[in-house]
Amino acid sequence: MTNTRSARTIAASGLLAAACVVWAAVPLSGARSIGPVVLAAAVACAALSVARLALGAAPGDPVVYLNPVVHAWRLLTRIVRRWLWAEGLVVAALVLEALHRSRPWHTGLLSAALLAYLLAVHLAESRARLAVLRPQVPLLAAGLGLVALAVGAAMLPAVTGSAADLMAILAAVAAVAVGGLALQQP
Amino acid sequence: MAAQREQERAGPGQAHQVRPRWSASPHALRLITLALAGLIIALITQRPEFAGVAAPAVLLLAARRPERPGQVGVSARTSATRLSEGERADLMVTVTEYGDHSVDLMVHPRYAVVPEPGRLSGDESRLPFRVDRWGRRSLGTLEITLRDRWRLTEGHATVELPTVDCYPRPAAQRTRVVLSRLPSRLGEHASRSSGEGVEFTGVREFVPGDRQRRVNWPATTRRGRLQLNTFAAERTQNVVILADTSSDVGEPGSTPVDLALRGSAATARAYLGVRDRVGLVIYQHSVRWIAPGLGARHYYRIMDLMLADPGLTDTRSREAGITRLPRAGLPPGSLILVFSPLLDRRLVETLRDLRERGFGVLIIDVLNAEPADRGDSFSGLARRIWRMEQQAIRFSLRELGIPLVHWNGEQSLDEPLAPYTRRVMVSRR
Repeated sequence: MTNTRSARTIAASGLLAAACVVWAAVPLSGARSIGPVVLAAAVACAALSVARLALGAAPGDPVVYLNPVVHAWRLLTRIVRRWLWAEGLVVAALVLEALHRSRPWHTGLLSAALLAYLLAVHLAESRARLAVLRPQVPLLAAGLGLVALAVGAAMLPAVTGSAADLMAILAAVAAVAVGGLALQQP
Repeated sequence: MAAQREQERAGPGQAHQVRPRWSASPHALRLITLALAGLIIALITQRPEFAGVAAPAVLLLAARRPERPGQVGVSARTSATRLSEGERADLMVTVTEYGDHSVDLMVHPRYAVVPEPGRLSGDESRLPFRVDRWGRRSLGTLEITLRDRWRLTEGHATVELPTVDCYPRPAAQRTRVVLSRLPSRLGEHASRSSGEGVEFTGVREFVPGDRQRRVNWPATTRRGRLQLNTFAAERTQNVVILADTSSDVGEPGSTPVDLALRGSAATARAYLGVRDRVGLVIYQHSVRWIAPGLGARHYYRIMDLMLADPGLTDTRSREAGITRLPRAGLPPGSLILVFSPLLDRRLVETLRDLRERGFGVLIIDVLNAEPADRGDSFSGLARRIWRMEQQAIRFSLRELGIPLVHWNGEQSLDEPLAPYTRRVMVSRR
């Protein structure tokens, strides 16, 4: 039962990683010249982060006498376990998104997908149930509200004068409200 | 660190306090990465939507966290401290005083310890396990991870799990080798002399003083004189098991040492079951021994000797040999059952000596391995010479009148011993 759940969580994190990379990459023609390099890095990070979750914890007792193939495999798995592939994927996906022209709603959805990916990775590596994230739901909702606010602000045409001042005041009120909501959480 | 590990070490069932080491969780580090990357890109590109990307992560990281427990109480014990190979037991873990944090437990088993499907979490957990190879085995370590409700900080502690004694799994044995001459002590083996047993041996004429209840009336009627039934006396025998654990060759789990100890355990159980006196001599880099004794408790003394540290028991050097054991360790007229791969020449000489001293000796050959064949002519020649040497050793022992059977460790011990269990084994002096 636990293994099935763990496999499901790993599969979910893999799908979310793939979705983040694809969403940040398309259209590839829209990205600048380093786009393919960053895309390759993002794909590698996504694949290796899923591999890291699938490998699980390192085996306990060290085995002294190993044949070269097993030794090489152990070395490879140690490298996969040690490096921070999920962090690499987050940075690569955001850089890939920044290489495109401004498209705020697209970035907002990428933000939500990256957050979901990070939560899925945490659930997979800690072998925890989805219910452990229940206390975080209000904060996550508030955070996504802030994302929507930022996306909305980016989509507004540049305004000047009293309208711009009004928008700034509204944004500040929204930020204070969200901050207060967050700090109320015990 | 070592001192802390030492402090965390405790015997089975003892609750003790451990101090977790706190640090930011990998989840927190990933959220920090997301927040920093979003903010930096927002600054560089001057695109506010990237600042929004950082917002959920910043909110989660800024949330107030519950107070961390300085210490947690941990108790780990097993449902049994003595097991046989392959037998199942439960590891029971209790964690207390962890406050509002969640607890995640993970067992890192040591060699030959196999955890079975089960879940360790919460206050009281139970995890089934088995031990696949005999020995005094530490179960491993228990890693305790405490997480706050936001999953941003983690406290780690490691606790040493209890040790269990895993006895060799006794091989199947139902029959027993019995000597023709038995000491005059009451037991369960029918001897050649007549006595008060239940096994009918014949009819003889009544003499004054005989018990009238044993009169055989049909025979009396036929012969016209009082005839009496006679019965075999029932005697016990002294059995000394000699386990040669000096050569550990072959596949782990089926080496001569494994087979010798499993065979010895089976033999001890079979003979103690019929109230014989059983002793054990372990022939390794020194000779360890326990004098013949009776009963279920003596079985556990024998099993404990198999696992005992040589430094903690009464030992004699191998050079002194088992022939120098005190009389209590090797009573005259004993049946000596030897489990050995016969790779140690000194043991072979000792067996010859025991035979010449009139002991009934039976060797169970537990060698099931050969030198590896490297495919070249020299290794092939070496294997042939080695085989011839082994055959010569076994031939010379048979010539001395020492019976020798081969046991592969998989079949029941009754099969190789069958020629000697169907009738009594004649012991010549």
